[in-house]
Amino acid sequence: MKLPEPVTTMASPLRMEYTYVAGAGRSVFLRALAERRMLARRCPGCAQVYLPPPEFCSRCLRPLGAPFELDGRGVVSTFCVVNFPFPGQVYQPPYVVAHIRIDGADTRLMHLVREVAPERVRIGLRVEPVWVADDELETSMTSIRYYRPVEPADA
Amino acid sequence: MRDVAVVSFAQSPCVPANRDDDMAEIVLPVLRDALDAAGLGRDDVDFFASGSHDFFEGRTFSYIESLDAVGAWPPISESHVEMDAAWAFAEAWAWLQLGEGEIALVYGIGRGSLPADLDQVLPAQLDPYLLAPLRPHRDALAGLQAAAMVDAGLTSERQLAEVVARCLAAATANPAAQTSGRPSVAELLAAPYVASPLRAHDVAPFGDAAAVVVLAAGPAARRLAERPAWVRGLDHRMDTHYPGARDLTRCDSAQLAGARAAELAGFAAADAEVAELHTEYSHQEALLVTALGLEKAQLNPSGGPLAGRPATATGLVRLGEAARRIMDGGAERAVAHATNGPALQHNLVCLLAGEPG
Repeated sequence: MKLPEPVTTMASPLRMEYTYVAGAGRSVFLRALAERRMLARRCPGCAQVYLPPPEFCSRCLRPLGAPFELDGRGVVSTFCVVNFPFPGQVYQPPYVVAHIRIDGADTRLMHLVREVAPERVRIGLRVEPVWVADDELETSMTSIRYYRPVEPADA
Repeated sequence: MRDVAVVSFAQSPCVPANRDDDMAEIVLPVLRDALDAAGLGRDDVDFFASGSHDFFEGRTFSYIESLDAVGAWPPISESHVEMDAAWAFAEAWAWLQLGEGEIALVYGIGRGSLPADLDQVLPAQLDPYLLAPLRPHRDALAGLQAAAMVDAGLTSERQLAEVVARCLAAATANPAAQTSGRPSVAELLAAPYVASPLRAHDVAPFGDAAAVVVLAAGPAARRLAERPAWVRGLDHRMDTHYPGARDLTRCDSAQLAGARAAELAGFAAADAEVAELHTEYSHQEALLVTALGLEKAQLNPSGGPLAGRPATATGLVRLGEAARRIMDGGAERAVAHATNGPALQHNLVCLLAGEPG
């Protein structure tokens, strides 16, 4: 028996909508982002400062202390240059993705570093957040458009 | 076989929708309760195993968030199953059988409330080519199974209502139950169908909860609990992926798992005084009673899933509830059952006893 031409494609689109429950800890952080503020919290047990802060210290399992504000500036602790194009990409490659150690925090925040040529980015570079316009502020990391060098000479 | 026992069980109340807590926040208080009851600290645990599912959470690798409640620093030995946490229990039991450690903690997080519409999500567990494109209603396959059972004379709509009435009444004594009450059989039979012959109350109500079970081997178990619930036998079997290839009025996979668990245990489910069954639908109770050969067991004294179905924590709650009956001295032998997949496709059976055998 001769087999028919094989079927190679079949459309079966899936769409799923979900409620995101941010939890008590992340809600504190996300609410503040919509006000251009960065709130950190310290563990009363091991003194680690979390940014973004969860509700509990993931080392000591103790509830973190009261939120306090950091000015959002920090230092690039590591980075990479994205050269690869992919679907859904917001920025044209090459661009820089960095881990940033915010002054006063013990954890690192991931974000873009722009307004600087990728080859001039280095570990140790001091950077500051560039916030979106008032009408674009949301309870989201996207309220920070990207980071940029603090000193114009570094750009 | 190494002697391994459940020494502690805790769960959070099953609620229709928890909008306050993230995964770590929902599991941490329960984890504390379970460890405190056994007089354990987190550092005493040799192995962590958990179960949850990204399709209920709506994010990839969602369970990683829950590790903040475990304290994964310094690095720990842990594993996760993308299914009901009863299978995490099976993994932890096997891990202890291998002699890898003394104490294992199993947790399950189930959040059925996060999908905006389960009819969008549940078809994704079906055959992607021949079934998923049809987008069957979430209860459609169970309706086929229930209708086939009624037609074969294996149950009736009245018997389904009696199962629901008994479970909801039992749940009035369970503080973790999501729903409970004392409806009459006539009231239940007057309700409209959702997928005939099933009515809304025949469907276990989805909700959110976390459950934690602590397992310990040999001397550690005796030290940690006055009366440990010894895991005497455990097995799980899976039926074919395509429901149309199954006789939905039988549950051979549960029967095989029960027979194998009985070989290990030295006693059978028929000898159990208590059975906690993962009945996602009321008609499945009769199917499981036959498959497991239950004779004298009190069925779902907690109220069972018909009083609350916290998604991927539901099966682990069955194991915990069965163990609890042994630990509190109310039973000498108990059987727990858990399921995954549509219409009882994959079944786990665990036999527990007050003596290590």
